[in-house]
Amino acid sequence: MRNKLFSLCFVIIMIFSLSLTGCGSNNNNNAATATDEPAATTAPETAAGEATAAPATEPAAAGGADISGKIIFLTNRTDMIGKEYDEYVKRFNEKYPNIKVEFEASQTDYNQQAKVRMASGELPDVMFVPNIPNSDLPKYFASLDDLGLNDQLTFKDFKSFDGQLYGITTGNSTSGIVYNKKAFADAGITEVPKTWDEFLAACEKLKAKGVVPLASNFKDKWPLNDWVYAVPRVIAGNPDFPNEKLTQDAPFTMDNGYGKALGLLRELNEKGYLEKDINSTNWEQSKKDIASGKFAMYFLGNWVINQVIGAGTTSDNVGFFPLPYDNSGTLTAPLSPDFFYAVAKNSKNVDAAKAFVKWMIEESGYEDFAGFISPLKGKESKLTQLKEFQSTGVVLQEGTVDDAKVTEITNKAQLDLPAMVQEFVLAKDPQTVFDKWNKAWAKAKKDLGY
Amino acid sequence: MFGTLSYNKQKTIIIVSFLLIPLILLATFTYYPALKLVYYSFTNWDGYSPEKPWVGLDNYREVFNTPDIFKVFTHNFAYFVMGLVQNIVAIYFAVVLNSKLRGRNAFRIMLFLPYIMNGVAVAFMFGYVFDTTNGSLNLFLNSIGLTGLGQTSWLGTEGLVNYALASTGFWRFMGYNMVIYIASLQAIPRDIYEAAKIDGANSMQTLWRITLPNMKAVIQLNLFLTVTGALEVFDLPFVLTKGGPAGASQTYVQRVVDTAFAFNNYGLASAMSVILLFFVVIVLLIQQLVLSRGGDK
Repeated sequence: MRNKLFSLCFVIIMIFSLSLTGCGSNNNNNAATATDEPAATTAPETAAGEATAAPATEPAAAGGADISGKIIFLTNRTDMIGKEYDEYVKRFNEKYPNIKVEFEASQTDYNQQAKVRMASGELPDVMFVPNIPNSDLPKYFASLDDLGLNDQLTFKDFKSFDGQLYGITTGNSTSGIVYNKKAFADAGITEVPKTWDEFLAACEKLKAKGVVPLASNFKDKWPLNDWVYAVPRVIAGNPDFPNEKLTQDAPFTMDNGYGKALGLLRELNEKGYLEKDINSTNWEQSKKDIASGKFAMYFLGNWVINQVIGAGTTSDNVGFFPLPYDNSGTLTAPLSPDFFYAVAKNSKNVDAAKAFVKWMIEESGYEDFAGFISPLKGKESKLTQLKEFQSTGVVLQEGTVDDAKVTEITNKAQLDLPAMVQEFVLAKDPQTVFDKWNKAWAKAKKDLGY
Repeated sequence: MFGTLSYNKQKTIIIVSFLLIPLILLATFTYYPALKLVYYSFTNWDGYSPEKPWVGLDNYREVFNTPDIFKVFTHNFAYFVMGLVQNIVAIYFAVVLNSKLRGRNAFRIMLFLPYIMNGVAVAFMFGYVFDTTNGSLNLFLNSIGLTGLGQTSWLGTEGLVNYALASTGFWRFMGYNMVIYIASLQAIPRDIYEAAKIDGANSMQTLWRITLPNMKAVIQLNLFLTVTGALEVFDLPFVLTKGGPAGASQTYVQRVVDTAFAFNNYGLASAMSVILLFFVVIVLLIQQLVLSRGGDK
């Protein structure tokens, strides 16, 4: 009996350690390598960058053939590998014949994958900046000040540290209502709503027609990001609104930006203007349904426009207007950056990688393909929808960098804002949700001593 | 060159060299990471930076001071219940398919096939089954006239979602349990049954008095797999519901993963994993004590 117990314990431990390797193996290879190289490569790098910021563009453009090497780009756009990217490389090689560009497809979650690679010290040459504090940027990435783009860039301070630029936005998005024009016309909506009441009236007309007015894709959680990351700061009229949580013990109240923004979504759900069952939504299917007019609207970034067109409709059937979040009639929409390009500082071919990043920003036309607003200031979009959006006279509010301390408190409190949106909308009494997270926030803030 | 060595020495060399590779693999990919995990649980490492500040038992203190974390185990209860049902059904099918039934191999394969499929693929597939408006389950219920039931939000109702998810696990693992049971059934000597038949035992009595007692060890093994499986559920809710609606289907492992990757707190997540490890050991010890009360053979 005793013997048996012992052997059972042993078996249990064996099996468990087996199952734990899943978590463990991520950890085990990261420790040593990450610290190895930094100091050596940065010093000359940044010095050169500071001194030659302006002239650097000339040689880079003219002497394309001088730069050579193989670079790897870890990308989340797996759909473009073998298609658009091949075409980009062809055009890129006309200018830089000696640079060989390879693409690596990111599996599932780019952020997680990038972090594991950072820990193991095996970063691809060109990648996107994962979700890390800006103070850590110099440890992993090369300064991009010598690209000579500094005065044209939007969101220049977003991924900078100590005055050095480490990440350049791949494209900017704004959020708004993407809609099926035919569905609007069929429901008798002749004019794009400019106030919240008009918006609700339009929803009612669509609903009466048997069309789902707004596809929230509530279940998937990420489609709610804009409701909590963008709308509150626009409603509050303060680009720095999300960071002001740092000084507050109860950042979520019904009458501030958060409460108002989430209240809008909750109202839409209560009136039945979202999917029939918001806990059972299907993102891929919803694109087809918007394209066919079964669903009428999305509230998402402008990046979705091209995806809707790709799901089976024509470009002139898809429209885009700012969310009229109140009845004032003046419209403000958030401007947010997408992923940021970065060049790994341990890359063997830093110059080649930088040339590629610069080319992607200036000449690839990626922003038009992806439906972004160009990362360069004043470069006009070729997309008709973005023109329509801007013709409403909307003011675009550029966001600010997330305060590292706010992120730290958010993580400590295990606060996942989009998940809070879900709780808020589903709860019988939304105030209890805010109370719960205010409490967690205050505690985390106190524990961290902020 | 080995010819000069004694037989015993040769034997030792062969045994050691054969064992070396699997043992090295085991040590590198199992024990080393497990030890690292325990080490990380005493730090507040964020998952990527080179520094790993030592914080002693702080992480454990934090886990036990947050009762919220353990509340998610109530969600695992559904998987445990479904696991018990799954074992009962598996024994039933094992007994049926162990008799002289026409085409029994075909049935065995059909029931075992779901186990071969990839877990994430199964989850995606059931996403289409459970969809409220277009899902095959609700369409079926509507087509047979149960329109009231056909409106159910299988993955969106708080009390129901875990059972809906667990039933997917049932579908997937039942065949696997069944195969183990069939193997153990075939190991029971025929003559016991013959003797029972001569004594006039009916089939219910043979099942209860002969088959089940002879399968006890295997039933214990399957229960062990069921309990660990129920405590460690991850892939199904991760793919199908992301823990929704509003956290109603979040499981412990999912919470660990969120803590590590979404909230950058590897230290705390490691502590949670170590606690889960001990939790499972305790639950299994209890199970072992309760089940072996009848005395050992």
